[in-house]
Amino acid sequence: MAEIRATKRLDITGDCCPITFVKTKLALEEMQPGEILEVLLAEGEPLNNVPRSLKFEGHKIHQVRKVGPNIYSLLVERGEDQ
Amino acid sequence: MTPDFHELKKGGFIKQQGPGLFLMRLRTIGGHLTARDLENLAKVATEYGRGEVHLTTRQGVEIPGVRLEDYQALIEEIKALNLLPGACGPRVRSIVACPGKEVCPNGVLDTREMTREIDRAFFGREVPVKFKIAVAACFNACTKPRENDVGLQGIVYPELVAERCRLCGLCQSICPGGAIKIIDEKVTINRQKCYGDGACIASCPTSAWVEAARGFVVFVGGKMGRNPRLGYKMFDFVPEDEVIPLIDSILTVFEQKRKGQERLADTVKRLGPELFRQLVSFPGPGEALRKANMAR
Repeated sequence: MAEIRATKRLDITGDCCPITFVKTKLALEEMQPGEILEVLLAEGEPLNNVPRSLKFEGHKIHQVRKVGPNIYSLLVERGEDQ
Repeated sequence: MTPDFHELKKGGFIKQQGPGLFLMRLRTIGGHLTARDLENLAKVATEYGRGEVHLTTRQGVEIPGVRLEDYQALIEEIKALNLLPGACGPRVRSIVACPGKEVCPNGVLDTREMTREIDRAFFGREVPVKFKIAVAACFNACTKPRENDVGLQGIVYPELVAERCRLCGLCQSICPGGAIKIIDEKVTINRQKCYGDGACIASCPTSAWVEAARGFVVFVGGKMGRNPRLGYKMFDFVPEDEVIPLIDSILTVFEQKRKGQERLADTVKRLGPELFRQLVSFPGPGEALRKANMAR
């Protein structure tokens, strides 16, 4: 698979739900459809909730990678406007 | 004419503390009220009560401070406004439910439709003692199904469409039971560890996890009050269309086997959960579960 490069990076590892998703949603709203956002988030509740909410809102998750002991990186393509 | 208090109680009209005062108990279907219902409740509570309501523990609404002589007019107004009378005494009480998958991100089943069906089939049915039913849309069990005579807990079993999977590992990381493991670049699932919470289906970025079977875990014989007891997990998987006949059979067995004024919890304990289960008519988890390779 070709490497996907993010144009923006968001670190929500210090936030708790639902702020995690709110920050991700706001970051994506400032981007254009097709652009890629890298989100760093903690496992547990954020990892359980953020990907499913992104999928529900029509964004596309390209990659989920463990990058630290409890930290994951998501590569998210901003979807079309609803 | 002396009113028949037994008849009044059936319709949710209950004597309250204070001379000549009653409360009118209304029910909801799984706690759902429209904005218009709330406006109408406010109107009725102001006109017939003292301008206040009490939210009951079973998601109903009680209007205190109603006078007996106003009962007939009040009940006619309630009917005209499409509000629903509640019940008291030895009968099936209002059905409690969580918002379900229509609203809750964790919900895996439509509790509103299920609750409507259960209400239609059983609400107000005369039984020897009170009988309570609760519906939860997922294994978080917010409506506490195990504390009810019959409790339903939504469950969904996943199935992998392997060609869609990109081995991102998200499902393995979020699976609460640790059922999903990626071994040698292959996704595996241990069915015995699957909680049926549907997290993998909801989150999978490529929709590789899909729904294979959907239904309820059914708990039987729970109660609270003076001698609380948690219900037995009696049926691991009941498809949605089997729920009504199953509850009907549980009620029938209870009516036949109960002694005196005992609650279902006491009947089940006296007979033993396994014997009670054998007496209940249930055709089994069905083809859906066998196809999903979930038969236990």
